[in-house]
Formats: sequence, C-alpha cells, structure tokens
Amino acid sequence: MENLLDIHFLIESFPAIVTRLPITIGIAVGSLIISLFIGLTTALIKIYRVPVLKTISSFYVSFVRGTPLLVQIYLVFYGIPKVIYFFQTEYGWLLNIDVNIIAPEVYALLAFSINLGAYLSETIRSAIESVDRGQFEAAKAIGLSPTQMMLKIIFPQALSVAIPNLGNMFISTIKDTSLVFIIGVIDIMGQAKILGSRGLAFFEVYIAVSIIYWIICIIVERLLVIVEKRARRYERGVVS
Amino acid sequence: MIKVENLHKYFDQQHVLKGINFSVNKGEVVSILGPSGSGKSTLLRCVNFLEQPTNGIVEISGKRVNVESARKVDIQSLRLSTGMVFQQYNLFKNLTVLQNVMIGLTSVKNISSNEAKKVSAEILEKVGLQDRLEHYPVQLSGGQQQRVGIARALALNPEVLLFDEPTSSLDPELVGEVLTVIKEVAKEGNTMLIVTHELNFAREISDRIIFMENGMILEEGTAEQMFTNPSVERTKQFIGKVLKK
Ligand SMILES: Nc1ncnc2c1ncn2[C@@H]1O[C@H](COP(=O)(O)OP(=O)(O)OP(=O)(O)O)[C@@H](O)[C@H]1O
Ligand SMILES: [Mg+2]
Repeated sequence: MENLLDIHFLIESFPAIVTRLPITIGIAVGSLIISLFIGLTTALIKIYRVPVLKTISSFYVSFVRGTPLLVQIYLVFYGIPKVIYFFQTEYGWLLNIDVNIIAPEVYALLAFSINLGAYLSETIRSAIESVDRGQFEAAKAIGLSPTQMMLKIIFPQALSVAIPNLGNMFISTIKDTSLVFIIGVIDIMGQAKILGSRGLAFFEVYIAVSIIYWIICIIVERLLVIVEKRARRYERGVVS
Repeated sequence: MIKVENLHKYFDQQHVLKGINFSVNKGEVVSILGPSGSGKSTLLRCVNFLEQPTNGIVEISGKRVNVESARKVDIQSLRLSTGMVFQQYNLFKNLTVLQNVMIGLTSVKNISSNEAKKVSAEILEKVGLQDRLEHYPVQLSGGQQQRVGIARALALNPEVLLFDEPTSSLDPELVGEVLTVIKEVAKEGNTMLIVTHELNFAREISDRIIFMENGMILEEGTAEQMFTNPSVERTKQFIGKVLKK
C-alpha cells in the first residue's frame, strides 16, 4: 500500500521553498509601505475634501473594493505595459522604459500596493477622524503648523487606533501574495508548485508551504502585539 | 492689549455673536459671564480663530486683524499671542506632562530641547506638578490635567491667556486646586480673559466683568459694581439666581 505522505519529500521541499521567501516577504512588505503612503494620501484628501482629487480617490477606493484581487492583478499585469506602450508610440513619452524587461515582481508589487492602499485608506481615515477634536484644537491653539500637528499629535494617536486593523490587513496581504504565481512570479507558492509537479507530490509541497505561511503569520502577529503595546503605551491606566 | 470690534459670528443661518465690542488692558483680568448658549465660548474661540469669525476686528498688542481678510500669518500671529486653557483640558494624550508643555517651545518657538525642558520643568513646578513630569495625561486626575493645561499655555508666554470654563469638567473637590493656580497666574500680572460659571471666583479674581446674553454684551463693569449694583435687570437676575444656588 502506498503511503499517505512522502514525509521525506515533504521535509526536503522546505529549504527549496524557503529560498523564495524573500519574494513573498518583499512583495508583502513593499506593498505595505507603498500602500500606507497611498492610504494616507487618499485619507487626507477625503478628510480635507480636496476638490476633484476627492472624487478620484473615492472612485479608486470603490473600484478596488468592488473587484476581485485576482482581476486587479491581471489588469495591472496586462494593462500597464499596454498603457506605457500607448504613451510611447502616441506621445513619445516614457521612452526610457522597456516594457519587455519589467519583471513580473514589479507588477505584483504594484497590484498589491493598489489593492491594499484602497483598504488602508478607509482604515486610516476613520482612525484619524476618531482622534478627539480637542487634540486638533489644542495643537492649533499653541501654534503648531498643520504638518506638525499631524506628525506629532494626530498620526501617533490615529496609529494606535489603526494598528489592529492594519495588522489584520497586512496578514491577509501576506496570504494573498500566494496569487502572484499567476503572472509568473515564483514566490514560495510558485516554488511549491514547481517542486510538486517535478516530484508529483502536490499534497506534500502544499503542506510544506502552508506551514511556512502559518509560521510567518504567527511571527507577524507576535510582532504586532509588541508594536501595538508600544503605540498604546500612553493609554495605560494610573500608575501611581 | 486685546481689543475686539464689532465681531460677528454666524453658524450657517444662526447669528451667534452679534457685534461684540470690548477691550482688555495689559495685566487686566476680565471674566465673561452669561447663560448657557449666549456665545461665550464662541467669542473666545473667535479670538484665536479656532472658529472663523464672520466679520469684525480682533486686535492684540497693536496687531489689527480684519477677520474677513485674515491670512494664515495673521491667524498664526493671533495664536502665538494667545494661550488657551480648555474646559476638557485637551492635553496631548500621546505626550508626557513634560512633553505637553515643551512642544510649543521646541516646535513653534524653535527653542533647544534642553532649554525647553528647563523652562517647562520650572513652570510645572509652579503649578505643583514637578513630580509628574513623565506621566501621561490618562495617569493624572482632572485637576492635575488642567494644571498641566495651564502650564502648557503659560510656557509660550502669551500676551493674553484665554480660559474657557477651566473648572467645569472637574469634580467639586478638585476645583479648588485649579482656581488657586489661576489666581496665582493672575497675581503675576498676566492679562486674562476667563469664561466661567464660578461667580464667587470671578468676583474675587476679576478687575472687570462682562455679562453676555444672546450673542451680545448686555453690561460690563468692575467686579464690585456688577455684583453689588448691576444696572441691567437681566444681569441682576442672572447673578442673583446663580449666587443663591
Ligand atoms: N460648531 C458649532 N456649530 C454650530 N453651532 C454652534 C457651534 N458652536 C456653538 N454653536 C452654537 O452657538 C451658540 C453659542 O454657543 P457657545 O458654546 O458659544 O455658548 P456658551 O455661552 O459658551 O454656552 P455654555 O455656557 O453652555 O458653554 C449656541 O447656540 C450653540 O448651539
Ligand atoms: Mg461654553
């Protein structure tokens, strides 16, 4: 009788899969950083009700939230080269970009940034709006500039409100990066697929890769607890 | 020192300040009394543009600002010449007591952190909080928080201090400590404009009293005159009613 699992193959596949971990982490962390920027910008546009930009950013948020991530990845992967090519041939712009050598990782990073940015936008906006109005008023009254007010008072307080949500979205994003193989990125999932078909042992490699995802997520959750504690240290009760 | 001329404020259609005129001289302490909703807070908040006044003139230390054409620099200059103490304290929750007092010095006045620390610690000592420097606002009682609020306003050495019901959120047993600090601040010769419901306190501390109702100043006069012999019937009623309670 055949064994249920080829344990030996399973264990051997770990190191091979882990070699692609930088791709998975790179796309997740990279898109987190870019999307924080996108999310913050669109949140501020909404809060300050900047004309025109406000409409564009609501459209963006609504579109991203209303379409599947998978479709967005394809849109970026097939759409961006066409758009660049269009500008090159019609207007002679962007000529220093060779669409044929853009790595699929770049498209993946872009797609995930666009996707996560839209979700973060709402989280960041509601976190900023949850900061007590009195904090804004006190900051203005002592003469802080709007930038100083945001950086020194409002963002730190908004962050401590937003961290649990941001953390959950980041963890989802780590798991969602398993989709990138569809545009030819070899992340840990892509590597597992390759190993699996080579050894005809799909069950084994998918167990291996799921354990890797699981461990990453546990580590990230632990880190989040520490970060959240730090961000909320001023909310602790009376000490003396 | 501070002068307000024909100041109006509308919230949409609602006419909340209906042509306010008054002035406060250097070193003078002036209290604003009046029933709830009469526009006292709005008046204070218009002076430092926490609310945008609709029209009129605000002048502090000779700098006249026509509120309709006020530019950012004008607003900033009014904010720098005023310090505000809020009913809800509004301490920066993410900063320690010391940082709350320092931030204006380091970020607005560009004073070095060491110097700012020294100055802030001195002021905090004056309000009796020298042993709470590293505490966060949540770790303080209301009275302590409000004393930090006063220290924060004092740190920037403003021309005028604005107090909006500084003791109204406090438990009765904590009111005294805050009033004591405010009295000390007054004794040091600071120019102060105070909105309060503490009539006895107002009587004791004020050089002059302004009585507001329905967006207008009904009467103003020295504390003694307003308490013993107000000329307007409405003032008499208000003061009588509140004092009797
Ligand atoms: N941000 C605002 N938007 C709309 N209306 C406002 C706003 N702030 C105040 N008002 C209105 O303006 C009027 C005056 O309010 P204000 O807070 O200045 O009164 P007050 O004299 O300070 O009263 P209290 O003694 O209760 O503090 C009230 O009718 C109030 O409802
Ligand atoms: Mg008020």
